[in-house]
Amino acid sequence: MCDDMSLPIPATFRNGVDRRTFLKIVAQATAAIGLSGTLAAKVVEAVEKGARPSVIWLHFQECTGCTESLLRTSHPGLAEVVFDLISLDYHETLMAAAGHQAEEVLESAIKKNAGKYVLVLEGAIPTKENGNYLQIAQKTGIDILKHAATSAGAIVAIGSCASWGGVPSADPNPTGASGVNQILEGKTVVTLPGCPANPYILLGTLLQYVALGRLPELDELGRPKFAYGRVIHEHCPRRAHFDAGRFAEEFGDEGHRLGYCLYKLGCKGPSTHASCSVLHFCEVVDAWPIGLGHPCFGCTEQAVAFRIPMLKPAEIVRPTPPATYAPISAPQGSISPFATGIGGLIGGALIGVGFMASKQFGRKTEQSTSETPKQDQPGTSGKE
Amino acid sequence: MDVKRRDIIKALFGGSAVAALATSVGVVPTAKASEAEAVTPLPEAVGLMYDATKCIGCRACMPACQNENGLTPDTGSTGGLYQQPETLNSSTKNLIKLYTAPDGHERSFMKQQCMHCVDPACVSGCPMEALHKEPLGVVGWNPSLCIGCRYCQIACPFNIPKFEWHKVNPKIVKCELCRHTVGKTASQPACTRVCPTHAVIYGKRSELLAEAHRRIAERPGFYFEDRVYGEIEGGGTQCLVLSHVDYSNLGLPKLDRESAPSQVRRSTNFIYRGFLTPIVAYGGIVAIMRNRWKDHLEHVEKEKQPESPSQENRA
Amino acid sequence: MTATWQKCIRLKEPLLTKPFYVFAGLAAVALLLGLFRELTGLGYVTGLNDGYSWGLFKNWNVTALTALGSGGYAVAVMAWIFNERKFHPILRTAVLTSLLGYGTGMLALGVDVGRPWNFIHMNNPRNWNPHSVLLEVAVCMTAYALLALDMENMPPFLERIYRGSDPQKSARALKFFNFMQKTFPFGIALAFVLPSMHQSSLGSLMYLAGNRVNTLWQTPRLPLLYLLMAYILGFACVLLVLLLSSYAWDLGRDSVILGKLASVMSWMTLVWLAIQFIDLGYRGVVGQLLIFNRYSVCFLTETILLLIPAIALRSASVRATAGSLFRMTFLLTLGGLLYRFTPTTIAFNPLGDYRYFPSVAEILMSIGFTSIAVVIFLFAVKKFAILPASAGKIAAEAAMPPFDTL
Repeated sequence: MCDDMSLPIPATFRNGVDRRTFLKIVAQATAAIGLSGTLAAKVVEAVEKGARPSVIWLHFQECTGCTESLLRTSHPGLAEVVFDLISLDYHETLMAAAGHQAEEVLESAIKKNAGKYVLVLEGAIPTKENGNYLQIAQKTGIDILKHAATSAGAIVAIGSCASWGGVPSADPNPTGASGVNQILEGKTVVTLPGCPANPYILLGTLLQYVALGRLPELDELGRPKFAYGRVIHEHCPRRAHFDAGRFAEEFGDEGHRLGYCLYKLGCKGPSTHASCSVLHFCEVVDAWPIGLGHPCFGCTEQAVAFRIPMLKPAEIVRPTPPATYAPISAPQGSISPFATGIGGLIGGALIGVGFMASKQFGRKTEQSTSETPKQDQPGTSGKE
Repeated sequence: MDVKRRDIIKALFGGSAVAALATSVGVVPTAKASEAEAVTPLPEAVGLMYDATKCIGCRACMPACQNENGLTPDTGSTGGLYQQPETLNSSTKNLIKLYTAPDGHERSFMKQQCMHCVDPACVSGCPMEALHKEPLGVVGWNPSLCIGCRYCQIACPFNIPKFEWHKVNPKIVKCELCRHTVGKTASQPACTRVCPTHAVIYGKRSELLAEAHRRIAERPGFYFEDRVYGEIEGGGTQCLVLSHVDYSNLGLPKLDRESAPSQVRRSTNFIYRGFLTPIVAYGGIVAIMRNRWKDHLEHVEKEKQPESPSQENRA
Repeated sequence: MTATWQKCIRLKEPLLTKPFYVFAGLAAVALLLGLFRELTGLGYVTGLNDGYSWGLFKNWNVTALTALGSGGYAVAVMAWIFNERKFHPILRTAVLTSLLGYGTGMLALGVDVGRPWNFIHMNNPRNWNPHSVLLEVAVCMTAYALLALDMENMPPFLERIYRGSDPQKSARALKFFNFMQKTFPFGIALAFVLPSMHQSSLGSLMYLAGNRVNTLWQTPRLPLLYLLMAYILGFACVLLVLLLSSYAWDLGRDSVILGKLASVMSWMTLVWLAIQFIDLGYRGVVGQLLIFNRYSVCFLTETILLLIPAIALRSASVRATAGSLFRMTFLLTLGGLLYRFTPTTIAFNPLGDYRYFPSVAEILMSIGFTSIAVVIFLFAVKKFAILPASAGKIAAEAAMPPFDTL
């Protein structure tokens, strides 16, 4: 918690927000995404130095859900973010400009903040037909992206669409929708998949960039590890039910009503890296799919969302022991009845043959004891 | 030279009596003999001590062991849902088991892994010492010497070594106290590293024994028969177990004070020490055979008849 | 049909008979399954598991059947050391059964072992673990099979070359045969010492398992009991082979030789039983026989299968009658094989709740390996002079007469 109260109110504060309120906003914001209290101080410091980073937000093949989800935050609220923490220089949904004026704004923002602005991308970019499926001001999405990315300080792809293609990329992917990573090769792109992405992950990333001037630690797909380091299954409130083997078998059945594990209803929690189980949505506790009784469908994962059927069970990648224990001595090995039968038959046959042979010997003794050899009998037994 | 039936019987009886005497004398235990053959623990021997009264059954040690040793989890009959081995097997080197008394009044967890015996039967039986004792007393397996005879599975009194039955290149799988990382990238095995209650701890056997005795002395009557399992059982083990329930209920066998390999050594050394008996026997038989062979050749000569095909086989 | 066996003859019977095809078929099945095992793994062709990791191959084909294959050893001891001249005509048959018993036993061992490519390291004595009983068995058996048994079985083979049409080969065969005769005492002594060592070690193998072998069988006297049982079963095997062969191919029956074999065998069995029961008493476990469980039933079955034939064969008339001789020997063989097999499997209790019964493939392979021995035996007796025959049969057949001394 920042306790430096002696700094003067900087001119960048708008709407007459007092310092106390501002500090509260920052503290809430950093706490909401798990950054330490000292970071809050750095954010304040950075903002007071006038370091409100420029953010340019581009839209492509998207439903605007990610922007919408951003509107449903209050720690900080979007107003505080836009007015106090960042300088949102271009956002097609929120800005008032349109037409040529909008294009000019975009160009000037890019030029003015070259090398420093945060480029946020929402939506997939179509690649088929030279990208002609999306044109804004007679420029294809690919061109817009490449142009804007050239001088960006940080590139953030918000939502599954921008991260790997999302819904538009579902089979048969007629437009060739791709994520930003596939277009901008060689650049570090922070991807925040999710459908929609949880807004606090974006806020956390931005705040860290504001405060420390660098992006959070990313995994091999560009996802911040603080949000995408675990699969839902490893951080799910219903995990105890899974371990104890308590499952909902059908929607509305007894188990479902009791809040049992939704694995058998096709929950993709075991395959999905995300933080929905702790962050929830709309700032309502348990407002996330599993919390509401619907299995996770893996919206952050390219291999899962819109590919694997909703009700098909997921693969458990790192299984752990369940709530039951092995006994001191568990029965092992099985005896095949067929084999026992065969064994018995053979044993019996052997003994039977042995006795039959011995009878034959007996019979031969009764015959003549002359030493003249008998006729050769080619078919006689030579058994041991 | 005609040998009568009674001579044969005398020889047989005499021979078998001598043999019986020889082997019997070799194995009637005398204090001196067992001391001479017993193996003392290496001074730097390390091991584990598992206190079942502290174990909470969290099984963190099981996935930790899996990860450290690169084993695929045994999901068995769970359809891929859980890691649920019922016994140690070729993908499970460490297992937590639960003992419940039939009347339900007594419970104890049990951690099962290789006991790293002071005088291991598996090492004694292994034809080329693929299973061998390392300098710290850890029993390790060497894949380049193992022929897969599985004598170790027959020998081990704890039934620990497991075999990969369904592989073309099968391994013997058992706990090796993480010897591939301990001392290099880690200071202790994975299981002791993750145990939240320190129910299982790693250290020098002498120190672990001292700690065990200290715990027993601290709470007399609490631990079963006020003793720690592995101190003397089967010649001693480097992995010790403390429990408040009968050790037999935890699947730990009752073993003689003298290890099985020591008993086998006493029995075989009597005859084979210095390879004396076979050499003497060989010499004796050669001596007898030279006489017999000479007589045999003379006999054959005498029996030759003029009209039979010519014999060229004179000695 | 009594007769006096004097020399060994080569049978003029045709080779490809119905029984030959049957055994060859079983042998082929075993070899195919063996190949399948090499390509996939032991778990696919056997019912073995981590509790019962030794099954039919090691415990039956090696431990039990090589005792049958000790005929060459037992009969040779009688013929040479105890100077029983009359046994010389049956020596070739006996050592052949030994070679085949050991050969197929080692084949089974080779298939059973999980990592056979490391066998090559066994050639270096520096890798040997001097305390390992199994190593002793492996090295000693190999040495016996490769050196002693091969040498003992050379004479019929050399003889055929000698009587063949190529004079160069003939000369070489004769040279080698003379070399054999010169070094015979040294070679044959090896054939007496080596089997004593490994047949007793086969018993010591299970001694290491401690109280996992039921107390009725687990004793420090295991090596002695196994060694004596090897003698007994060796005699039994030779008896059975001679009886069956003489019946099948009209060799005549030398009741003196067979009677002598049976007599020694029955005496030894009685001594063996005495040692076993004295040992039970000494260890104080006779009471275990009174508890009705599978162990006491098994032990008593063994004992009865050994005792009744042993007593019966003390009677000269039983020994003289082919039928009863065969029956009694057969029962005795079953009892002896059961004894050799039981401590390894039936009386073996690994810690934990394990169950084992050989799989169908395992049973077929085990039978198939034995069939290989039968097939080779049938082949050998019709190509070389191995089986003993009476003077009349020899004259009638005008078969290839053998070398005289071996």
